[in-house]
Amino acid sequence: MLVIALLAFVAIPTVSSSEDHTVSILYAGSLAAVMENGIGPAFVQATGYGYQGEAQGSLGAAQMIRDRVRTPDVFISADPSVNQSILMGPQNGGLVKWFVTLASSQLVLAYNPHSKFASKFEAAAANKVPWYEVLEMPGVHFGRGDPRIDPKGYRTLFLFSLAGKYYHRQEIPGLLGDPLNPAQVFPEIVLMARVESGQFDAGIFYKHEVVAHKLPYITLPPEINLGDVHFAALYAGESYTTPSGQHVSGAPILFTLTIPETARHREAALAFAKFLLSSNSLLNQFGLGSIDHQVGGELNQVPTDLRRFNSGTFKP
Amino acid sequence: MNYRPKPTFIIFGLLGSLLLINLLLPIVNLLLHADWSHWTASLMQPDARSAVKVSIIASAISVLIMALLGVPLAYLLARARLPLKRLWISLVFLPMVVPDLAGGILLLQLFGPYGVIGRPLDARNIELTNNLAGIVLAQLFVASPFVIVSALAAFASVDSKLEMAAATLGDSRWQIFWRISMPLAWPGIAAGITLAWIRALGEFGTTLIMAYNPHSLPVYMWVKFETDGLAGALPAAFWLVLLAAVAVTVSMFLSRLTGYADVVTPLGQTGGKLT
Repeated sequence: MLVIALLAFVAIPTVSSSEDHTVSILYAGSLAAVMENGIGPAFVQATGYGYQGEAQGSLGAAQMIRDRVRTPDVFISADPSVNQSILMGPQNGGLVKWFVTLASSQLVLAYNPHSKFASKFEAAAANKVPWYEVLEMPGVHFGRGDPRIDPKGYRTLFLFSLAGKYYHRQEIPGLLGDPLNPAQVFPEIVLMARVESGQFDAGIFYKHEVVAHKLPYITLPPEINLGDVHFAALYAGESYTTPSGQHVSGAPILFTLTIPETARHREAALAFAKFLLSSNSLLNQFGLGSIDHQVGGELNQVPTDLRRFNSGTFKP
Repeated sequence: MNYRPKPTFIIFGLLGSLLLINLLLPIVNLLLHADWSHWTASLMQPDARSAVKVSIIASAISVLIMALLGVPLAYLLARARLPLKRLWISLVFLPMVVPDLAGGILLLQLFGPYGVIGRPLDARNIELTNNLAGIVLAQLFVASPFVIVSALAAFASVDSKLEMAAATLGDSRWQIFWRISMPLAWPGIAAGITLAWIRALGEFGTTLIMAYNPHSLPVYMWVKFETDGLAGALPAAFWLVLLAAVAVTVSMFLSRLTGYADVVTPLGQTGGKLT
């Protein structure tokens, strides 16, 4: 009893005093810098609500919501399909009924400015050398996300496959080796640590991650970088099946927002969603792209306050 | 004296059992909600078995290295006249207060392919990260202090009069170490080794950065949690609890072999002062 009483003492102040005034956000890991340094503080300042953010891999975060080990007020995913395959529909308990697309991003090739290959990467950034030729150089260490746990992981597979076709160089996808090549594949946080600490020369990242971490990067053509909705049909030609049997297809990189049915503070959640959907310039500042906010799932379940931001229906 | 303190024991028992319940409840809960048929199937998957193998091999190597290098270091710190002794001892504690992720990054900067130590080796195609060596290095960093600190305390608690008596009888330092210090300090050292072993088995944060591949059991559990949620992670958690239990049992067995069964508790050294 004493232990419980003590624990309750610790737990109560954060729950009751801020009841309905603090919004808890579970978001895709790559958004950490954007959320904690940009959106979070700006939201608190603009609305007076409290803000509590938690970064997790999109897939893992969705699993946590489905397994009810997290009950965030707002869930921001790095891939619309994560909502559809893990949270929506009766087979998933219907914990999410709708989502809106929030922003776009694109894959870039970032490099460590102190790498011994930095001058080569700079030349590639200036379009003097093809970027893949730098990666082909012996001794270059580069990393990418894990397709098992991270949408960026399988998106990188799509990127290299698209690049092979785009440049008519069939050996480009071969740069990756096995999809799960242990020499290249790392969780997001580890990959960033490796490139920032100079232990890797380069890595494939989202543009907004690289902007936040102030790493130099090479912009890739929209035909292959998965960042342009106009090339959706081209991206859709790519697909990958994870070892656990999940089938994913190429699609533009879109971040989505939803308020799960398990949300505890709906009022705060709505305030946050409204704030985020009208923060395009802030998102752009952090390297994300503005898009039309489309609705996926059940249109009539979207809270009335959010409908004015919608323009059209999301088609996967 | 033996009969008086009963009320004290009752009060302490009540207080202690509250904490004990708090420690055991999560594990009991894990076992109560076990989906045994699904778990045994998950544990038989090749990647699960490989993770168990990696964890056992890596932690066994780590424990061997820690014991071979840590025990002499502890003896030195306990008995030798060293300049700045207190400083050396406090440095041993340092890895314990470094957060796991930070520890991983520090190690990476040293042993990574462009690290101070990793770079010249990488040029010779020897890699120290992202393989078994990386896991062992991570485990050594986080778990060694347990061996050193326990052994240090154990050596320090050996009555130095016994060592001096042996010396006056003509024993060399080497003989004193093996005949007097080591046997008397062994229960404490064994406890430290067990703790270090368990710490190494469960190590996650530092390992994740140093060696994501091959997956050790904790990393595998995290990957399963990310991909399959709780249903994927719980069997691996069960494996970890099981392995830790085996480690404790082995340690108890070892100390029984050496004749200290009555005074050795696997998770704490008491010396011979209980009776």
